[in-house]
Amino acid sequence: MMSFARYIARGELARALDDMARGRVAYAPRREGDAVVFRPRAEGEEPLLARATVPPKGVIFPQSERLFAFIREKDPNDPGRTTVRLDSTVDIEPALIFGGRPCDARGFHIFDRVYLNGPYRDPYYAARREATVVVTLACTKAGSTCFCHWTGCGPADATGSDILLTPVGGGDEGGFVAMAVTERGCAVLEQANLPEADAARMDAAQAVHAATQAALDAQSPAPDLSATPARLLERFSDADFWRDMSDKCLSCGACTYLCPTCYCFNITDENDGGDGMRGRRLRSWDNCMSSLFTREASGHNPRMGKALRLRNRVGHKFSYYPQLHEGVVSCNGCGRCITGCPVSVDIREMVVRATQANEETPNA
Amino acid sequence: MPDAITPQAGVHATTLGTGFTDNPYLPDVATVLETVQETPAIKTLRVRIDDPARMESFRFNPGQVGQLSLFGVGESTFVINSPPTRMDYLQFSIMRAGEVTAALHGLKPGDKVGVRAPLGNWFPYEDMRGKDIVFVGGGIGMAPLRTLLLYMLDNRADYGNITLLYGARTPTDMAFRDDVQEWLGRSDMQTTLTVDQAPEDWPHRAGLIPHVLLDLAPSNANSVAVLCGPPIMIKFTVEALKKLHFADEQIYTTLERRMKCGIGICGRCNIGTKYVCVDGPVFTYAELKDLPNEL
Amino acid sequence: MPVLKGKELRVVGFLCNWCSYGGADTAGVGRFSQPTDLRIIRVPCSGRVDPMFVVKALLGGADGVLVSGCHPRDCHYSQGNFYARRRLETLKTFLPALGIDPDRFQYTWVSASEGQRWKNVVSTFVEKVHQLGHAPRIEEAAPYLPLAEKGDTLPAPLRPLAWPAAGTLTASLEQLREKIRAALPELDCVIGWQQGFDALHATPLFMRKPEDVDKLTWGPLNVHNLATYLPQFKNRKVGVVVKGCDSRSVIELLQEKLVEPDNVRVFGMACEGVVDVERVRKAMEPAEGAACTDVAPAAVAVEGDGLAFEGDTPVRLKLADVVAEKCRTCDTPVPLLGDVVEGNASAPAGPGPDAPPSLEALDAMTPEQRRGFWRAQMDRCLRCYACRNACPMCVCRDHCIAESRDPHWTTQEGNVREKLQFQVIHALHLAGRCTECGECQRACPVNIPVLALKQWMNRSVLTLFDYRAGVDVNAVPPLLAFAVEEKNIKEHGL
Repeated sequence: MMSFARYIARGELARALDDMARGRVAYAPRREGDAVVFRPRAEGEEPLLARATVPPKGVIFPQSERLFAFIREKDPNDPGRTTVRLDSTVDIEPALIFGGRPCDARGFHIFDRVYLNGPYRDPYYAARREATVVVTLACTKAGSTCFCHWTGCGPADATGSDILLTPVGGGDEGGFVAMAVTERGCAVLEQANLPEADAARMDAAQAVHAATQAALDAQSPAPDLSATPARLLERFSDADFWRDMSDKCLSCGACTYLCPTCYCFNITDENDGGDGMRGRRLRSWDNCMSSLFTREASGHNPRMGKALRLRNRVGHKFSYYPQLHEGVVSCNGCGRCITGCPVSVDIREMVVRATQANEETPNA
Repeated sequence: MPDAITPQAGVHATTLGTGFTDNPYLPDVATVLETVQETPAIKTLRVRIDDPARMESFRFNPGQVGQLSLFGVGESTFVINSPPTRMDYLQFSIMRAGEVTAALHGLKPGDKVGVRAPLGNWFPYEDMRGKDIVFVGGGIGMAPLRTLLLYMLDNRADYGNITLLYGARTPTDMAFRDDVQEWLGRSDMQTTLTVDQAPEDWPHRAGLIPHVLLDLAPSNANSVAVLCGPPIMIKFTVEALKKLHFADEQIYTTLERRMKCGIGICGRCNIGTKYVCVDGPVFTYAELKDLPNEL
Repeated sequence: MPVLKGKELRVVGFLCNWCSYGGADTAGVGRFSQPTDLRIIRVPCSGRVDPMFVVKALLGGADGVLVSGCHPRDCHYSQGNFYARRRLETLKTFLPALGIDPDRFQYTWVSASEGQRWKNVVSTFVEKVHQLGHAPRIEEAAPYLPLAEKGDTLPAPLRPLAWPAAGTLTASLEQLREKIRAALPELDCVIGWQQGFDALHATPLFMRKPEDVDKLTWGPLNVHNLATYLPQFKNRKVGVVVKGCDSRSVIELLQEKLVEPDNVRVFGMACEGVVDVERVRKAMEPAEGAACTDVAPAAVAVEGDGLAFEGDTPVRLKLADVVAEKCRTCDTPVPLLGDVVEGNASAPAGPGPDAPPSLEALDAMTPEQRRGFWRAQMDRCLRCYACRNACPMCVCRDHCIAESRDPHWTTQEGNVREKLQFQVIHALHLAGRCTECGECQRACPVNIPVLALKQWMNRSVLTLFDYRAGVDVNAVPPLLAFAVEEKNIKEHGL
């Protein structure tokens, strides 16, 4: 695709967003209490540029959704019999996500590999993914828990986005260089009738990318994680290691629900009334830190205890997923699991310690 | 299907199609034809998918599983234990354990269930042609063996000696009685039954499966062993087979895990990189040894 | 049966099998005319009525709920209705916190022979519900988000907040470390704090080896209540470092026999107040156009009544401005129990229970605003259950009814009703047990002010039973006891 870049002056942003989102529900960060969450944006609303507390994954992968409804009907000829009809129609609105960061957008790429390109295609996810344009804001600062540059992501990574916005210049003089990443992004950007980003601004955007990258490198140089998948497997039976790592873990689901890449779910049935004649099968977010995630009806649980559950969480992101997906790590280094954890469990520490040579634990 | 759902700007609702080929979460509605109370804890359901064309075209391989659901209660995974050679109905045998299995036990002929099948891999019955087959089943573990065994009996000439060792805790815990009676009477297979605690009038073996297996001492030459049962039985039966010089690659078993989607997405049934729902449930012992120890 | 719109309302009655159900039967046999709005559910005893039955009905769309049992002293099981009276009265005082009119719920006593009385009770209650009309639904309330954000100023603390000079603090900490090192050989581990991923965040530390003890820190960043970890060490000897407030949770755990006195060693230290990390973060955040909400100081130094944050832009914050709400009035700066207590034993105490600002804010709202408030707040709940897992008194953990299918209290639906319902379960299960440590709210990754519900409940318990949890190991929690004549519970006159 030809390079396609436009310039949005700071004061033009709300208007440009209105135009880009024409015919779509636009989701943008909004402050609610002491959290920033993605909410449908009103036309003309000045968007918040702060990074959201919760990533926008729920727009495409809702916290809970109906897979289908079941409707039982009494057989008119034999009232003792009922038939069942299933209704799997789903309303999906064309949407646009504005203001996610590269780590958020890359989350959708991590989903895509499983939900679109696995042995089965997930039609619910696929429909929402296809209906949603992702307009991402490149980062200009390195938060203390940011480690995107360890994971193959980065402050200007465009993976998973349709359009990447880079803030350039400061104050009222400033604006955004908007680069289309996909054909769809091109079309959407075209709707906004914006001037082309000139060479100076393109250079400024490149400089912002490089500066943020440098700030991240200075804060925490990326360790070599190439041996991590194998090392995590070697550590698999190292009970002391996983006990030490999980001691303080409360085994809640904050880390997984804040994670832009955590894609696990549960399926449950609910009845609409007491008579069982109507109800729904739901698909809802689930998390591997919950005991119920793997507890079998017999009571047996292959991941009894938080140490084994945390082992799977770290193992999945840094060992199993990369082994199945050409080395791609299913963690984008957004750091939300660290900041959002009530007791500050730090996945960076776990990964680094697991990766370190195992001399100290010959029993591993 | 994906082409049809690309929304146009300004269009505010789009609708997903129905039908299993498009939507792997949408079950086929099926009707219970018959139920059999196998043991106090195990009940067998024989079901037919309501859509005749769908039932007509239904194909599966021995060892594949299905998600059986009761609408309003939930889904659980069970092996299709009837063989692909007998397509009058699909048979599932259910051990009562939790909410869904308890509700399935309450079903009567005529009741409706949901079926998502076939899912998962299967026993490599084609590679097993010409070989001697040793079946070792414990308790409800007989179910996955039944489909393969019946398939082989229906294609008897393709296979060598067939040995079955079926064990349960007590005679009342023994499922598939009619089948077992027939197998005992067949001259083209050797059937041995054993129970942990035998009453006085029990005409068969008593003792734990691995001990009886060592006694039977099947030959490893040009053989495969197919095991299914509780984890502790698998562990000791594998040890017994090792004593009988079976190689890891000659031993097949099936794994169980809590499953939801059954299609490798929902994320809970993995053991390391393997998802039991799509990479299993059938594994050779050689494959199992390569997996992280998380059973 | 379809509800006749506008005429009939949905009123649910939980009637005890022995008296009130008989009373209703007597009224029927006597052909007394009664309103038809009531749907009766027969229960073995009024003591069987879990207050959650009432809440679930009300959140689910009931316009009124009536519970009726045997008269006090007449319970078929001797005491069931005495327990019920305490629970149901507690619930009645709690409902307004959700914006539910407490008049929509009533409980009373009707015996099997009192057909006429039953008729009067039903008529009076249903008439009252008709006056109130259809119950407004929380999920339909207009969102209301008025609470001052944490960056805004807190009312002045009601106790002096000043940490000892650095030297004194280090000396106390060193003494504490010594005692922990000495005790370590007999213990599985000792739980304390160390610096976390940046200078602003402490993190729990599990000390197993003497060198681990060197990492132990002490100061206003030790926000976690480590008592939460104790129940998981069942049958093992464990040590825990506590602040004054944390010691109350240990007392409550001991009282409920959730930890064994012989198995837990308590190391206490006087506390001069801990920070609310969220407030600090707010105070440090660049005002406009912040590209990243996560700003970390390079180092934090405690300086008497303030904290000095070093970094790109050094900041000094007054502890009074960024302190956790609970520390403003804290009356237990020194642990109430401990095998070892270090630090300033005469640390100045506050007045104890006082209307905390977030409870005052809830008090100031109209019922409609409260419904809108919880609707708006709970909307972003992730259902991660950090609030529950961080709570020292939530000991069911993997067996919590929030996630069980049997009983089936909540669904997996992502709506406000299901989310709020869990918060009500949490508050009700903590009635008379909550030590108000605030971990539920601190743990919330999306900062939902769930502590206000517990504060409301604690005030109810204090008013009704003159009881505070976590003060006396030998006390009996009020909802596990009753008085034949209740001092503060009045009959509601139905």
